Amino acid sequence: MNIRKSYALIVAAALLAAAVSPAAIAADLTDVGYIDQAAIGALPPFQKANAEMAKYQAQLQSQAATAMKKAKSDAQRQQLYAQFQQKFADRQRTVLGPLFARAQTAIAQVSSNKSLSVVVDKRIVIYGGQNITDEVVNLVKGPGAVVPPAATPPPSEIGFVDQQQIDQLPKVKQANDDYLKFANQQKQQAEKQMAAAKTNSDRQTIAKSFQKTLGDQQDKVLKPLVDRTKNAMADVAKKKNLILVVDKNDIIYGGTDITADVQSELK
Amino acid sequence: MLARRFAVALAAAAALAGCSHPVDVNAPSIRGVGYVRLEEVVKVHPLYGQLSQIDDAMSALSLQTLGPAVPKTGAQIAQETKELNAELKAAQDRANAILRHKQADYGAREQTAIRAALAAAGEAPSGAQSAQQMQNVSQAQAQQVTGQANQDFLTYQKSVVAQDNVAVGAIDKQLSKRADLQYRQKATQLQERESQLSLELSQQDANKRLELRTKLSNLALDDATRKTYRDQLNAIEKREGTALAQQRGIDAKELAKYQAQLRSQTQSQIAVQAAKIHAQTRSKLESRRNEVSTQIASQLKGLAPAQLPANASPQTRSKIAQIDKQFKTQFQADAKATVEQYQQTKSDLDARYAALHGVDAGAGAAANAQMGTLTKQRDDLYAKIVDQIKHEAASVAAKRGLRVVFVSPAAAGGGIDLTDDLKKDIESLHQ
Repeated sequence: MNIRKSYALIVAAALLAAAVSPAAIAADLTDVGYIDQAAIGALPPFQKANAEMAKYQAQLQSQAATAMKKAKSDAQRQQLYAQFQQKFADRQRTVLGPLFARAQTAIAQVSSNKSLSVVVDKRIVIYGGQNITDEVVNLVKGPGAVVPPAATPPPSEIGFVDQQQIDQLPKVKQANDDYLKFANQQKQQAEKQMAAAKTNSDRQTIAKSFQKTLGDQQDKVLKPLVDRTKNAMADVAKKKNLILVVDKNDIIYGGTDITADVQSELK
Repeated sequence: MLARRFAVALAAAAALAGCSHPVDVNAPSIRGVGYVRLEEVVKVHPLYGQLSQIDDAMSALSLQTLGPAVPKTGAQIAQETKELNAELKAAQDRANAILRHKQADYGAREQTAIRAALAAAGEAPSGAQSAQQMQNVSQAQAQQVTGQANQDFLTYQKSVVAQDNVAVGAIDKQLSKRADLQYRQKATQLQERESQLSLELSQQDANKRLELRTKLSNLALDDATRKTYRDQLNAIEKREGTALAQQRGIDAKELAKYQAQLRSQTQSQIAVQAAKIHAQTRSKLESRRNEVSTQIASQLKGLAPAQLPANASPQTRSKIAQIDKQFKTQFQADAKATVEQYQQTKSDLDARYAALHGVDAGAGAAANAQMGTLTKQRDDLYAKIVDQIKHEAASVAAKRGLRVVFVSPAAAGGGIDLTDDLKKDIESLHQ
């Protein structure tokens, strides 16, 4: 009897352990959301706006071609080009701007309702998280105005960096420029060799050598900087109590921007 | 006793919970977040070898198409092709004129010899006149066929060049369209950024704005106070507007830079594709030019057979046939030098034509086609590998009780790195 009781207790404890084990926690909701941006872009208003922009662009291109023919210098052509670009950008703001704003507001509202601290692109989440695509789509498609949430996103444990800004740091920019210069020189040499090569075997040898030279140079010039940047991001993340850092392009809503901190760390 | 049993049960529970997942996923540094360095897991997948082979083949192919330098523009090629064609035609005309002159010379000498032979045989010279007439007809026919062949070539060239232009135009349009799409995507991305900023700014000042608007809606306000509130509201609007305008300025610059980059890339891609098309055109024209050349050469090979008088005796026929053969042989030997000189000129022009359209452009076309096939193979294979990794990752994450798993983050300040676990799983799946 005692043995049976003890066995029952152990089974109960095992069940308890299972209940509080990580597998059970997995069922909990998370404050990380994700969205399939393609689904938003496929909505009729976006499709219609894109079609309108494409038509407008064709008109502009035709006008630009006529205007360019009359231009007498490169400077004039560049000026004309800039003018047409501006026209296109203005129209884009007019046509697509309100749609993006509505989608962004819908994302903010759904995120706020679900207390999400961050919404990322579907591509970078392979498990868990809350898929809010359908709710956002319904809100965007729905009648009437979408009301922005009163609250800002809660602090998120997911940080992000704007890699483009990191690339503009003098050291990083210099390294990138140096590498590009080197790569161009190597390419020119390889082109000359290719032009003189007589067999496919010769060409493959030249190609492999070219590739190896570039790879070696990347390891020498760029890799140390990439490693340093990653370390700086990890350091900042730890200091700010963030779990992960992702690229800004993958963040759709919320998240913690640590670009400036990483820049300071790298200076 | 009960306390001891409870302790035993707790220990058992701890052991059961702990033995499978030693890491506390709820620890402050993890908080249920995992991540996978996808590319590292891909490398241990059994299909990675196959993927590497495709990658190697692709890189070799892409670098094979490095040379030569960027082809000339369509207009330059058209102009230089025209010049080369003119040179070729001049060489053909020159060769034809020399050969016609030789032909006439040998024909006249043969006629004299035949006439002498007929006179010696005491037979009517009308046969010789007839031979001269036939010779003239033969020459006229040869000239007509040569002229027609050249005319046909020019018509064919016009048609092929027109096809070339249409194909290049289509490629240009297609690649430009793709660049436009990329540009629009970037513009959209920046637009989203601006919208996000606008939203953030609006949210940031929402409370203050609401407060001011509420105050302004109070009818009992005196003018001075109303102005103060209105100024404050305007200041908020202005601050937001300035911040948004700044962002738009930054975005506009970024967009312009991206567009310049896209334009350069597209032009380069168009040049590669155009070179491919020009190479095909060159090949077609070269082939047709060789046909024309062969046609002309066959026309110039010899004279028409000498026409014998109807009443000529067998001996006279034999003598005239011998004279005819002798002059034809001499003419062919003499003409051979002229034809060879023409062929050399043509060969030089062909080389210049090939250089004009880019050496190996034909090989490049084949490489591009192969590249397309390899790219598709690579994409399919990679997707297959990643799908399996994702499936395994989900299983591992569920077992560990993680709430979310990210792919290849830029950096990690905490969380659980599932990469090694997944590597083992993926390897074991295929052992």
